[in-house]
Amino acid sequence: MPLLNNRRAVLILAALIVALNGFFPALWILFTSFKTEAELMRVPITILPAAPTIENYIRVFVDQPILRFLFNSVVVAVLSTLLCVFVSALAAYALVRMRIPMAGLILSVLLAIAMFPLVSIMVPLFQVMRDLGLLNTWWALVFPHAVLSMPVCILVLISFFQDIPRDLENAAMIDGCTRLGALWHVVIPLTAPGVFTAGILAFVNSWDEFLLALTLSPRVASRTLPVGITLYQGEFSFPWPIISAALVVAIVPICIVIALFQERVVSGLTSGGMKG
Amino acid sequence: MSTIRHRLTPLEKADRRLGFAMLAPAFLLLSAVVLYPIIDLIRTSFTFLHLAQPWMGNPFVGFENYARALGDGRFHEAVWHTVLYIVVTVPGAVVLGLGLALLANKPFTIKWPVRLGLLLPWALPLVFSGMIFRWFFEYNQGIANAIVRGLGFQPLNWLSDPNLAFFTICLAIIWKSSSFVALVLLAGLQTIPRSYYEAAEVDGASDWQQFREITLPMLRPAIFVALIFRTITAIQTFDIPYAMTNGGPGNSTETLAMYIHKTTVDFLDIGYGSALAVLMFIVSAVITTGYLKYTRRDPGRH
Repeated sequence: MPLLNNRRAVLILAALIVALNGFFPALWILFTSFKTEAELMRVPITILPAAPTIENYIRVFVDQPILRFLFNSVVVAVLSTLLCVFVSALAAYALVRMRIPMAGLILSVLLAIAMFPLVSIMVPLFQVMRDLGLLNTWWALVFPHAVLSMPVCILVLISFFQDIPRDLENAAMIDGCTRLGALWHVVIPLTAPGVFTAGILAFVNSWDEFLLALTLSPRVASRTLPVGITLYQGEFSFPWPIISAALVVAIVPICIVIALFQERVVSGLTSGGMKG
Repeated sequence: MSTIRHRLTPLEKADRRLGFAMLAPAFLLLSAVVLYPIIDLIRTSFTFLHLAQPWMGNPFVGFENYARALGDGRFHEAVWHTVLYIVVTVPGAVVLGLGLALLANKPFTIKWPVRLGLLLPWALPLVFSGMIFRWFFEYNQGIANAIVRGLGFQPLNWLSDPNLAFFTICLAIIWKSSSFVALVLLAGLQTIPRSYYEAAEVDGASDWQQFREITLPMLRPAIFVALIFRTITAIQTFDIPYAMTNGGPGNSTETLAMYIHKTTVDFLDIGYGSALAVLMFIVSAVITTGYLKYTRRDPGRH
């Protein structure tokens, strides 16, 4: 049946285009990371490494304290995610359930403030963190990163909380639960997928953030990966194989996270986005 | 809904009080990270504050910083570049994103390669995307010039020619941001009932007609959402040009956010930088509300 084959060919072609568009840049630095500087000079260029070497990866760990950066990124991302989800869950639940007057207006105000371009308030933010003695600590990034993800977290959580029937909480409260007890023991477990989704989005946002990290936490001890990776380039030299290897090391963790939770991420992005 | 009820029961009143308490942490966080800095920013923008000239103190100078911005050619250029980036990359990302979403909406049996192909650019930090594209367009060893040479042409100055550098950066931004657009549009596509297309097919409509008469109109709300989100982030463009050219050559690819960053962090001219930041905030607020108004006027559904 030629028609069916045709259909299949179109399908495979479509999948190939989308996948290649997404994967190619990452694949290309993966290939580059196993090449030597000498191989990069070759004309015509090679695609796969001719003589794969792990020298670049050794340099990545020797030249800069990349494990330190990795650790800082993980800590900042985890702490800001916890803070963001905690604060957003309380706010979202209050707006959905607590008979707050003008909840819609309050939500708009909340979103408008949280979506304020942080770039433009970087200097006063720097001064706030300095006055609080938080510069060059994880906390200088934890608080702003939590704000960064608040809009999407609140929107995702609201859409999940709205689907929980009121009666369930009322039953729990008749059984002697407090309001917050009902939230913790009944609502959160039932909306675990939503809470989880909000958490992943907050995690990725924090992991990717660059400008605040560059400004508020520039010292080595608290530097995060995106800032740390830019250090492998010299003032005038670009050791591309080493930079590529560093990028691979930095990208792998986030790739694992999105590969494991791809469906959650997609549903979260779209539900948060569509209601925005 | 609650207007029908005449009186709140004591339990409901307690609920409401607890509700406000539950909103408090969010507003507290926003006050410390956003609201207080905004107030401080506005105050500083009316003063002279230069960290390299500490003996000058922090005197009130009225609108002097704003007047300076009016006559600052580099500021005008940065604004112009930012507008160009928005005008080129927002529609660009929506077109590429729509293409990717249409391809990804096909009935695949194995879904993960396509889904990951859409997610990976989204999850990649902006600054990494910038670095990777810088590597693609590297003059001697980059893959772009390898292709150009392979086709028998002279290699191009992708990142050192001012106009070409702008174009190259736009490519990187479009690639990076199209994946988010594609994910939003894909969700929109999946809400269109199959029966519409089946009916159209029975009537003999071509693929193009189906796209124009069914897909595009049904997708309009999703496209608007994508446009708004993309525009709001495009106003703050920083990471990708920073990683690819650091605003160069000269300052031909410098954005408003980059100029503010340089003015304050590199030149330590805090007072003036604050005025620029206030201006940026006003511009972004105008664009955002303009967009929101436009979408509200447009019902988006038939």
